[in-house]
Amino acid sequence: MQTFLKFLRGFTEGVVLLGLLFGTLGAQEKPNTCLECHSMLEGSLQIPPQKWNADIHKTKGLGCADCHGGDPTQMDDQKAMNRAKGFVGAPQGAALVQMCGKCHSDAAFMKKYNPSLRVDQVSEYFTSVHGKRLKTGDQNVATCISCHGVHEIRPVSDPRARVYPTNVADTCGACHSNDKLMAPYKIKTHQKEEYQLSVHYEALMKKGDLSAPTCNSCHGNHGAAPPGVGSVTNVCGQCHSVFADLFNKSPHKAAFNQMGLPACVYCHGNHGIKHPEDTLLGVDDKTLCSQCHTSGDPGFQQAQTMRQAIDQLKNSIASSEAVLSEAEHKGMEVSQPVYDLIEARQDLTKARTQVHAFNAASLQVFVQAGLNITHRATEKGHQALAEYQFRRKGLAISLVVILIVIVGLYFKIRQVDRRSNGE
Amino acid sequence: MNSENKSEAPVRQPGRRTFLNLLLSTSIGASAVAILYPILNYLIPPKAGEPTTASVVAGKASELKNNSGVIFRFGNKPGILVRTPDGELRAFSAICTHLECTVQYKKDTSQIWCACHNGTYDLTGKNVSGPPPKPLEAYKVNLRGDEVVVSKG
Repeated sequence: MQTFLKFLRGFTEGVVLLGLLFGTLGAQEKPNTCLECHSMLEGSLQIPPQKWNADIHKTKGLGCADCHGGDPTQMDDQKAMNRAKGFVGAPQGAALVQMCGKCHSDAAFMKKYNPSLRVDQVSEYFTSVHGKRLKTGDQNVATCISCHGVHEIRPVSDPRARVYPTNVADTCGACHSNDKLMAPYKIKTHQKEEYQLSVHYEALMKKGDLSAPTCNSCHGNHGAAPPGVGSVTNVCGQCHSVFADLFNKSPHKAAFNQMGLPACVYCHGNHGIKHPEDTLLGVDDKTLCSQCHTSGDPGFQQAQTMRQAIDQLKNSIASSEAVLSEAEHKGMEVSQPVYDLIEARQDLTKARTQVHAFNAASLQVFVQAGLNITHRATEKGHQALAEYQFRRKGLAISLVVILIVIVGLYFKIRQVDRRSNGE
Repeated sequence: MNSENKSEAPVRQPGRRTFLNLLLSTSIGASAVAILYPILNYLIPPKAGEPTTASVVAGKASELKNNSGVIFRFGNKPGILVRTPDGELRAFSAICTHLECTVQYKKDTSQIWCACHNGTYDLTGKNVSGPPPKPLEAYKVNLRGDEVVVSKG
């Protein structure tokens, strides 16, 4: 093994010297003996050049020594990796965070590369569960390279980056879906599986909506931590602000606080949030409301009234659509009532939103507005169908009349013929 | 016998002939009405015009003030015509890309806003906050005199 390493060193030195002699390293590029050796090593010490060439740091002109220290111009590995000359090797844990932070927390330095880039990642990291545990001496927690990778670090805007929105769940899941890694912390590992069944995952991965939430949208990225019970509405409210406002003004706000329940999450879940259905609302056994409210209490009554109102509008819209669709198929002009139904559907959406005020009266306003529209639309649909029936009957009558005319003409012609023959 | 038959015949003949003539003329009259009625219905246009999806007159330019917007009907879907604070006319589909509510112009923030879930779009139609996943579909705006003609593509 020693002989092989000596041969490798000699071979590498030869290659580098030849490169220097013939100018293959180029006048602009810094000499980098590190890569020459490490591209040929095996295992964790190997750094394939194609990986490093894709790294954002390489493209910005930085070299190995900018992070690891040492002297990349030296052919002798003892000189190149001399700790007395600042070589830090491959630091772990807090030392690694500090190594990245050396540049990434330096606003003046980072401004040269990306003036809009944040420089608070390290301080934010130490507010995360990962960072806090690291401070207590836990060396197994995630640090910068756990999420961003190493020697192939790509900017967040690159779809191949491990921190690109569509890749974040896999990046977090690499540890958080691993039973063995999570067992010492007693953290469950089902989050990614649940998330992959959620409406958010569908929006992000199937509909291509990059603003749809993934792990870091709710937990934070550098400061990753589970949102506290009291901040759930704020977190969900980043996007669902109307729901958060309604909930915060509702009687549920105080009740949930008193019981220590996480607001939105208690009814909708967290990682596996499904598209909400009307069946969640109401008083039968399958509804969410019935988990806390029982017959006779005010909440039970509100839930029952709200569900009935929403069902009434939903059925009324369906009934209008059926009548207008029938009229349309029969060739009648009903585009105006069809257009008007858009507003009724909007009222249904608003009524469903108002559920989060947990006040049937405020919901009823939108239901009534929608019902007014559906009643008018249905009436116009029935008028169109009546007109269709009138036209059909008119056609039938005119056909009978035409038939009688033909018969009459037949008799008239026969009469004229007889008279002619008689003359 | 023959003379008796001849004398009875004129009494029966006028009745049958009159009946047939009456039948014939009534039928012809009814046929004419049956033919003319649908023709008249066809010639008189219905109250609501046929939907035009290629282009539509969205309103009058002189009636739309700066920093305001108006909803117009584009076929069977709503559209929104806005005049920016700088006076530029722009038109978009008024269907929110989240849950298809109709958006509206919000003067205090000079944005297009959806009241259902507080989604907002800037005046280029781009979704900027709230749940909308995509920008609003943009339409072309042309002026024909004072009329604002909005078209797709």
